[in-house]
Amino acid sequence: MNRVRNLKLVLWMLAGFGFAVGLTRFFFGLGATTNLGDGVPWGLWIGFDVMSGVALAGGGFVMTAIVYIFGREEYHPIVRPAVLTAFLGYVAVIFGLLFDLGLPWNIWHMIVFWNPHSPLFEVGWCVMLYTTVLLLEFSPVPMESSSAWAKIRATLIKIRIPLVITGIALSTLHQSSLGTLFMIMPYRVPVLWYSPILPILFFISAIGLGMLMVTFESHFTSYFYRRKPEIHLLKNLAGWSRWVLLLYLSVRIGDLAVRGQLDALTAQGWRTVWFWVEIVMMVGAPLVFFSVPKLRISRTGQWTGATLGVSGIVLNRINVGGFVHLDRGAGIYLPSFAELAITLAVVATLALIFLFFLERFHVWEERPVDPNAKPEALPEFDYASMVSLGAPSVASRYTRSLAFILAAALGFALLSDDVLTSKGFESNPVRAARGGDTLWVDGNRDNYGVAFPHSQHVKFVEEILTPGIEITDRENGGVSFASETEVPQYHDKAAICSQCHHMNLPGDQASGCYECHSDMYNISDSFGHDWHSETAGAGLSCFTCHQTGMAKNAESAKQCNECHDDLVPAYAAIEVEQYLAPGYTDAMHGMCQNCHKIHAEEVEKADLGRCTTCHTGQTREVIKRDQLNRWSNVPNNDITTFSSVR
Amino acid sequence: MNPAILTDITKCIGCRECVAACKVVNDTQADSPRRWSLDDGLSSDNWTSIVEREGEFVRKQCRHCLEPACVSACPVAALHVTEIGTVVYDSDKCLGCRYCMMACAYGIPRYDWDKAVPYVRKCILCHDRLMDGQQPACTEVCPTQATIFGNRDELIAEAKKRIAADPDKYDNHVWGEHEVGGTRILYLVPKNFDLSFMTYGQKLGEKALPQVTAPAMHAVPFAFLGMGGLMAGVHWIVKRRIELSKTDQDASKEEGGEHEQGA
Repeated sequence: MNRVRNLKLVLWMLAGFGFAVGLTRFFFGLGATTNLGDGVPWGLWIGFDVMSGVALAGGGFVMTAIVYIFGREEYHPIVRPAVLTAFLGYVAVIFGLLFDLGLPWNIWHMIVFWNPHSPLFEVGWCVMLYTTVLLLEFSPVPMESSSAWAKIRATLIKIRIPLVITGIALSTLHQSSLGTLFMIMPYRVPVLWYSPILPILFFISAIGLGMLMVTFESHFTSYFYRRKPEIHLLKNLAGWSRWVLLLYLSVRIGDLAVRGQLDALTAQGWRTVWFWVEIVMMVGAPLVFFSVPKLRISRTGQWTGATLGVSGIVLNRINVGGFVHLDRGAGIYLPSFAELAITLAVVATLALIFLFFLERFHVWEERPVDPNAKPEALPEFDYASMVSLGAPSVASRYTRSLAFILAAALGFALLSDDVLTSKGFESNPVRAARGGDTLWVDGNRDNYGVAFPHSQHVKFVEEILTPGIEITDRENGGVSFASETEVPQYHDKAAICSQCHHMNLPGDQASGCYECHSDMYNISDSFGHDWHSETAGAGLSCFTCHQTGMAKNAESAKQCNECHDDLVPAYAAIEVEQYLAPGYTDAMHGMCQNCHKIHAEEVEKADLGRCTTCHTGQTREVIKRDQLNRWSNVPNNDITTFSSVR
Repeated sequence: MNPAILTDITKCIGCRECVAACKVVNDTQADSPRRWSLDDGLSSDNWTSIVEREGEFVRKQCRHCLEPACVSACPVAALHVTEIGTVVYDSDKCLGCRYCMMACAYGIPRYDWDKAVPYVRKCILCHDRLMDGQQPACTEVCPTQATIFGNRDELIAEAKKRIAADPDKYDNHVWGEHEVGGTRILYLVPKNFDLSFMTYGQKLGEKALPQVTAPAMHAVPFAFLGMGGLMAGVHWIVKRRIELSKTDQDASKEEGGEHEQGA
């Protein structure tokens, strides 16, 4: 019985790992842990946990319909596991959704704040109601174990038929509504997946998937408990699923044909290939494996066909859920490590609960023997630690706890601190200047611009403002400072450049601060407290900076510039109010537009966006539109003067 | 009231005064591109932005659709259309499903991805200022009147007037007049200017997106009752047939028994 024990050990590890990762998701937010973003608001958790979870739970309504509605009593042995799978599937959906929702503690809002126009509102209600129905459908099974429940159990069995009918009707609604969710995105979902009859496609595939999932689940558990799967029943289910999926394929292709989109089947690049992968898995595989009689009655044949079919439909849900969506520069979405870990943990947790029910209650006709419930078995001995672990049941409890804790520790260890605390700012290397010497500023873009001859400005600075220094090294296409050893001069020159350049990268319209100050958002200790207080450092006493009689914190301390009065250069054009770096826009508008506005008032509200309103001596028509707002090399003799600013 | 904004792309000089004014009025923080941002400058802190394409500056913001997809998608009605027509957000109701972000044809709503308590953020057309009789901050500060505020019908008329006056300069189409049922943010587009970067690359139809889902949503009660009724009917028939076959069997058994007795 090692298979079950090993399986459980792995499941506990997955749960532990996901537990650790799941905690960080709540503390650091979705951005730090997932690959979701403004272009990909929905990812693996919606595509797999929610959409596939609901679809995979389709076995519940399909099997109850076959047995209780169509009266095929011979399928009764597989009803109980199917209903249990469905119930736990829905619990997994809700559980998984708690990670995906930004504000999961508000999940109950759907009960009080209604929007009946929203497909998601309908899905939410159906999930709530159907989970309740499934609970009521399944609870007679655990209630068998105690006579205390007999009365309630009898009532539940009495109302079974209405429950089953309600369950089927609810399933019909929201299996299809999951498709309705995407009908509102005709411009986002590609034609191969978008359809005005998405709800119908989703419903048909959910029926097929329900049958395949029952087959899959039966083989899966049978393997681990070394029992015989219900091959004679499953072969019929598999056979039916084939027809359902064939119907699905013909409706899907037929819909494309009706909408005149058949050429998309061959001409959509990687999406076409992906579409066919999906179709081959979800329809092709069951068709092949369940049509060959020999394969259909063989364990391997049933298992392979069902697994491929189930994976194909999961792939379909993930695709519709966002993987294939048209993007606007967000690139292809692949789930992050945390998304995968949490998804696996949700599946593992629910699988453990499933196994618990299998072993405790009569989910199967005959209960599997709990591999640990062997009171006669000898105590286990751990050779590594030389410790007796006690009876097998106790020993496995120890090992599983250990597996959970170790996996959780590994999960914490693997989470990169940088990623969690980075807030998503990417390092932006400083870009080189774009060459060219003269900038044509045609602010109002009426083809009358102002020439800004950079070299003349540089010359002006070099010869008039600070005689004798050389600012730029045009040969090397960048700024060079005469000599790094002449520190004071270096500072002067940097300051001179920054008087103009502390706004934009050359030729750029609006460089963000971070484009040059690439580390400005990185968390850093800009104030070295230890160094300031150490004797070997600045050697300051506490009260040099902190006020006496007050808590010693940042608020009660002096501002940096109270001591370091040279922090703001005297020539800085930006007024620094609170000693916080001003945002780019403030800096930019402080530099240019505030003055522009003043001038605009003076000249009685002239068009201040029109450069030539003020720059009168310099206008000339720009011939090539490409040159607008761009640096270009204009012969110097073309430029007469730039001193005619009014 | 029928508020609207007309943005004349040909007049915008890209000064970003509107972006700055929006930040001041809505008290949003400085922001820069993050790992999860799109390249259009919008984010949970930037509710409007200027995108430079082909030498033109295009201001992006929420379009305030007449029939917004986000409003119809929101399961808890956190996003809603106010009585004056602005599309606003009630963060107290939101549960963070982000369906609005998926539903918007322009991909406008943005998310606080870096926060442990995240909200959906987008332009609210300065709703409070409009209620006070002011105009939105962005249109008020625009130095070139590239983006102006007014009555939607009057702005459409103004836009058509400008097109008629200079048909070589403008595309003969007021972008937003009919797109996805009409939007309150209207654009005058330069001739032969490719706007596909403003959507998912597809040309928008005139049908409002909520109306695309409406038939499916209207079918819900019928699907529920229909499937329930069908199942009940099938159950009744099947049960009856089983009972009948049972009585047949019983009858034949009895007959057989009598026969045996008789023998």
